[in-house]
Order: sequence, then C-alpha cells, then structure tokens
Amino acid sequence: MAELRRDPIVGRWVVIDSDNQKGPGDFIKETTNLPGHKDTCQFCPGREHFTPPEVDALRPKTSKADSPGWLVRTVPNKFPALTTEGEVEKEACGMFDVMSGVGAHEVVIETADHHKNLADLSPEEMGFVLGQFLSRSKALSEDARVAYVSVFKNFGALAGATVEHAHSQIIALPMVPKLVNEELRGSHQYYEDNQRCVFCDVIEQEYKDRERIVAENNSFLAICPYAPRYAFETWILPKGHQASFTDIQADTLVDLSTHLLDVLKRMRKVLFNPSYNFFIHTAPVKYAKPQCYHWHIEIIPKLTRSIGFEWGTGLHITPTYPHTAAKFLREA
Amino acid sequence: MPQLRKDPIVSRWVIIATERARRPAAFFDPKGVDTQKEGCPFCHDAQSIELLTHESVRVVKSGTPVFTEAQDVTLRKDGLYQSCHSHGSHEVVIETPEHIANMADLSLEQIRAVFKTYALRMWHHHQDKSIKYVLAYKNYGVASGSRNIGHARSQIMAIPVLPMRVQDKINGAKLYFNFHERSLFYDLVRQELKEKERIVMETENFIAFCPFAARFPFEIWVLPKSKRQYYDYVHGIEGLETELASVMKTLLLKYKIGLNDPAYNFVIQSAPFDMDMPECYSWHIELLPRLTRTAGFERGTGFYINPIPPEMTAAFLREVNV
Repeated sequence: MAELRRDPIVGRWVVIDSDNQKGPGDFIKETTNLPGHKDTCQFCPGREHFTPPEVDALRPKTSKADSPGWLVRTVPNKFPALTTEGEVEKEACGMFDVMSGVGAHEVVIETADHHKNLADLSPEEMGFVLGQFLSRSKALSEDARVAYVSVFKNFGALAGATVEHAHSQIIALPMVPKLVNEELRGSHQYYEDNQRCVFCDVIEQEYKDRERIVAENNSFLAICPYAPRYAFETWILPKGHQASFTDIQADTLVDLSTHLLDVLKRMRKVLFNPSYNFFIHTAPVKYAKPQCYHWHIEIIPKLTRSIGFEWGTGLHITPTYPHTAAKFLREA
Repeated sequence: MPQLRKDPIVSRWVIIATERARRPAAFFDPKGVDTQKEGCPFCHDAQSIELLTHESVRVVKSGTPVFTEAQDVTLRKDGLYQSCHSHGSHEVVIETPEHIANMADLSLEQIRAVFKTYALRMWHHHQDKSIKYVLAYKNYGVASGSRNIGHARSQIMAIPVLPMRVQDKINGAKLYFNFHERSLFYDLVRQELKEKERIVMETENFIAFCPFAARFPFEIWVLPKSKRQYYDYVHGIEGLETELASVMKTLLLKYKIGLNDPAYNFVIQSAPFDMDMPECYSWHIELLPRLTRTAGFERGTGFYINPIPPEMTAAFLREVNV
C-alpha cells in the first residue's frame, strides 16, 4: 500500500508509490544531442566575442577580458529573462500587481573544455565554479534592487538545457520566489515553536535514522529527503548552521567542491548519466532571521515525464522510496 | 522590458517575457498519440473493477492505484517526520466506449456525460468523512504524463489530505475575503470582463480566460460567473451542464486546431469538503497545454518564466474558429 509523507519544512504531502516501486533501471533513458558543436560553440575559448562582455572570470593576470585563457567565465545571458537596467517600479492594475522585470540573468561557463561535464571536473576546477557562484552572488546582493539570488543548473535536454557546453545560471530577482518563501515560512514557524532550526533537526534525525544518507564529508551531508517530490531527489546540507550560501568560508568551499562532485558522480553512475537540475536554496539578500533558515542544494534528476499532474494539483507521486534511492547512491 | 506579475490567489510571481516573446506559431509541436485500436485496454476491458457507469461513461478502479482503501488511517509520527497510509480511491474515467483519443473529438452530449460523471464521483466521496479532497484531472498526450494509448480517459483521486496547491489557493482566498469582504474569484471575473483582453470566450454563466500571471503559454482558466464553491453544484442546475460541456469542447478544439493538437492537462479545482468560509472560494478548471519544457529554475524556485504574454495567447485563441 502506498504511503503519504509530509515534508517537515513546508508541510507538503507527497505520495510514495510503494506498490509500483522503480529502481535506477526503470526510468526513461533519453539522450538528446544539444546544439553547440565544438566548431561553432559560442561558449568555447576563441569565441568570447559571441557572448556579451564577461562580468567575472578566472584567468591569468596577463590575459585580457573576453579573450581566451580563462578557466571559468561568467557572462550576461544573451536572452535574459530580466533586464539589469531600470528601477523596480511597482503598480496595481485593479486587483493585479505588476513589477518591472528588473534583475540579472547570467551564465557561468564552467570549463573551457567543450567535452567536459561538471561531474568530470577536478575538485580544484569545481572550486573555481563554486567560486564564481559565490563572487557573483555577493556582487549581485550589493544591488539595492535585488531581493534574491538564485543559482541553478540545467543539465541535459530533458532538464531544460539548450546548450551543450557545460554551464550553470544565476538569476537575481527583485522578490523572493515562492518555493523559498514557503521554506522560510515553515522554518520561521518551526523556530517559533521549538527555538531550533528545522534543517538542523532534519540533519540530526537523518544521522539517527541513517537509511537516507547518501554521502558526507567534514562539512556537508547529502540525503534523500524523507518526503521527496521526485525519484532520487537529493539534498546537500552544510552540517553547521548557516543561513546564506554567501556566508561560506574558503575551507568549507573546498569541502563543498569534493562533496558536490562526489554526489554528482554517484548519480551519474547509478542513473546512467541522467539529465538533472540543481539549485541553491539560500536566504534572501536582506534577511533578519539567520537563526531560522539553513541554505542547501537540491539536486533533482529528471527521470520521469509526468509533470502536468503535479503542476495542476501540487500533489507529487514519487515512484522510489528515499531510503532505496539513498542505498543505491551510497553503494555506488 | 519584461514584466513581473503576481498571481492574486497564491501570490506567486511570474516573469512574462515581452522582448523575447515568442510568436504563437513557435510553440506548435505535435504530441504523437498512438491511435492503434488493436490491444487498447480501454476498448476491451473485462478485468477492471467497475465503480460506476453513467450513460456510456465508465468509471473503473485504476490498475496501478496510488490510493486504496485502508483500514488504518492514523497519522504515524517518527521524530520530525509524519506519514500515513495512502488511503483513498484512484479511479479511471473511460470517457467513451469508442476508440477516440482526444476529448475534443467527443460529441457535446458525451462530454456533458463525462463532466457529470466527475460530479457524481465527487458527490460519492463527499459522503466519506476520511476523504478530504477529490481531484478530477486529465492528461492527454505523452508530454502531459499520459501513457501512450489513444483512448480518451481521465482520472479521479479521492485523497485524505489537501494538495499543496489547493491549500495555497484557499489561504489566498481567505486572506482576500477577510480583507475585502468579497470573494476574490468574484472580483477576478469582474475585472476580466471589464478588461476583456484576456478573455478567450464567454457564455451566459462561464468565462474562459488566460490568467493575468499565467505560468505557461496558452494556460486557460474556466470560472463560473456566479460564485459556486463546489464543482458538483453545477449539476442539477438546468442547462449548466451542457453549457460547461460546450465551453470545454470549444476550448479543447481551439487547442487542437490552433496549436496543432498539443498534449495538455486539465484539473478541476473545487473547494475541499470541510472548508470553513466556503463563500470565499469558487470552483474552476485549469487547462495547461504542454508546449514548453520547464527547466531547473521553475522547478527549483516555483518562479515561472512565461515566454508569451497572456493577452497575446488570448487574442490568438479567440481568433481560432472551431
């Protein structure tokens, strides 16, 4: 008989379809070739002029901006969802609220090598990518118009990637997105009731239960959450309490590099190089209750097609128990 | 400049792209439903457990149910975590005995019978105190999550908890009602009728419009003009059933003809059975054609980027002759 589980943070119920359990081999395997052949790829070294001028990069001091030689490079998105110019203007149209689409939309080109994926990088190279996430998050947070910075990655066509060359994206928004708001609301309520951070309590219980742990190192813990929305959904949490990703220190960033690589490699091995998304959930820019919230990374492999139902209803049906998924990933 | 718009019910912001807005024609993508009649499990179905036959619409138990009747419905607690048996009912509505794939191609009379059947099942589950909510929804086409079988059917789930999106809508509707002492849905109908530009069609008792803060291209909501919290109230009112069926048939045909037979979902959003302040809510139907792949940003943040303004999709759909 199937089971209903409640997420302790946002209070969302999900269905674990225990009668029709799916293992790693039971999902769609679709590899779609993305456009962006090496000979024409606009993210490859030597074609820097095809992108808007870079906003940040890691490159030798001798090399000029927008020229080859870089290790990792951040550029504005050529087709941005939000524009950087203008003020945040708010107005009402009858009962509706409208705001000007001011913000930033940037692309982090993760490596100069066209044939490498994020999971192929060395820990050092992964550190460069995370370093860009960090420096751009900090820089965008300085902008008074920005309320939230969202870092995310789409890998593979099924997960929404449109370019082959390894990249992730950063969007700076003039408001806090809904799912983060739900987490904030839940965390604040939990703190009010218990005087503790709900994520810290999740970590404690995961250590007690053990069965949903995927991997850990000094500073980070990866788990398959108790009430997952998707099969093989995995969260990476800093073990110590920290509200914002931008609070991370240099030595912890090194730990995150090895840990994220470890988890991505396990996923690639167990799920046959799946398409996936990950996103950093962090506190809003101006955040008054850092004791309540705990930043984390959510990694969601794209394994099933059925999405319309979830969007229509908000009810997620997950075909794999999190302890089963965690066992596969742990033993990979 | 792109515009950020806030959904007045659940307070979700969406980005409506204006500069890089795609033309309606850029979305056309055939969904590929298998029309093979041979071996269709819904044409020759002798094994399923039948729950109801209304006119020529059959309701059977799902062969792979995610909700089944449980004796024990108590909430289990394990430290922080809560779980319970997935108690309820999971049903398949076989919309027609004929092997027709798209509901749009059914006769008006047949569609009326299908929507009546939803109401009958809702009413049936309404009697059961352990059921909190009944979902009636449809997946059409592979991209919508449907299995590749070309026989029109929809699904019903009677469940013991409130889905997150329903809870969100109720919270928003209550907040609005407490503040304005009016139903948000009533105001919504009034404003859409006044502005007209997002209306796809209007009949005596219903409006269909592309919502102001649409998450998806060509998203449509169908609302009754006079506030009715429960979907099953439609039935029993003279003429309303046929009117709703004709609105749905027209909209689905507009999708089929105008958007090249896309995959789509629709879901009926009724009030929960034991809702307090039901006067703040109104049932409605959400139609979502599956034309784009939503990516990590949407999944991870709940923040949608819609590549085409709803005013443009409404104008396009208005012009599609069916």
